[in-house]
Amino acid sequence: MDQTHNMPGKRTELQMARSMCWHCQSEVHGEYFCVQCVKVQPVSKELDYFTCLGLPRLLNIDLGALEAKFYELSRAFHPDFFQNKSESEQAISLGNSALLNTAYRTLKDPIRRAEYLIQLEAGSAKDIRTSPPADLFEEILALQEDLEEFRSASPGQNPVHMEELRTRLKVDRETLERRQLEMEHRLAELFTAWDKLQSRKQPDDQARRERDAMLKEMREILSNRTYLRNIVNDMVATTG
Amino acid sequence: MAYSDKVVEHFNNPRNMGSFKKDEDGVGTGIVGAPECGDVMKLQIKVQGEKIVDAKFKTFGCGSAIASSSLATEWMKGKTLEEAAKIKNTDIVQELNLPPVKIHCSVLAEDAIKAALADYKKKAGQSE
Repeated sequence: MDQTHNMPGKRTELQMARSMCWHCQSEVHGEYFCVQCVKVQPVSKELDYFTCLGLPRLLNIDLGALEAKFYELSRAFHPDFFQNKSESEQAISLGNSALLNTAYRTLKDPIRRAEYLIQLEAGSAKDIRTSPPADLFEEILALQEDLEEFRSASPGQNPVHMEELRTRLKVDRETLERRQLEMEHRLAELFTAWDKLQSRKQPDDQARRERDAMLKEMREILSNRTYLRNIVNDMVATTG
Repeated sequence: MAYSDKVVEHFNNPRNMGSFKKDEDGVGTGIVGAPECGDVMKLQIKVQGEKIVDAKFKTFGCGSAIASSSLATEWMKGKTLEEAAKIKNTDIVQELNLPPVKIHCSVLAEDAIKAALADYKKKAGQSE
């Protein structure tokens, strides 16, 4: 597994990687505009969204700071301001704006932010093997069957049974919605615990184990909440 | 984005929709899900000797997931266990013209095939 995330120095180095201005060849240190010739620089595709928007790589972020930085960079990169510039600059402004928009959309939403961070931390999020939630699948299939019965019932059909079914579905839905809330709470707890872990200076084995366990649990909750969301949406759409 | 004609065809006329009793003799059940989109797929096979004589599916998800599992059951019927194990998600992608964003639906179908085969073998006491 990739261990570079446990070496705090490494990331800073990467970020400070020297490169050359495409126009005047002078050194740039990750600035978006060359210090010498003031030409716009392409934002590296390697740059993670947190760094791109000047934020620490954490799950609880300062949304005000995110928005402020987004607006600032949006203005700086906006293609309108490059209409009279060279073709290269127009292309860079367009590319940067697109990347910036994706970065902002990803980080603004806490769930997408978490999914993105897990992906960064674990290479591909799929690398964390989580066992499929077999019980949840069974539950969903059973509920879907109830829903199917409810949908396919003709109006005059056994009103007592249909009423029972409706009541049962309502109770089931309330239970699921409670579980959704519990999941959101647990996620919030994990986000805070994760961020706290990041502030440790020297990660030891214990911290690494905690880190992996947290990634796994977050991955699991994020998947399960998607399954739950789908079934709850189906229930709402069917029974109103 | 529009679905391909083949996806629409399977969606409108799903083959082998339904289920077998899980504990029935010769039945293997695979239930899998796609965490990205929350789709859930159940695929079952009925085996006699080494041959899959029947297959059924139930999928709760998008059109591509339904079409992928419908196609999978169609392909599995009449195959031996060994032959069925060779069905690849890329075959499904090709047959249904799935766009890149829907490739995970075919992966789900392949996972479901594998899970159903594994469940059958486990039940039949053949596992490794």
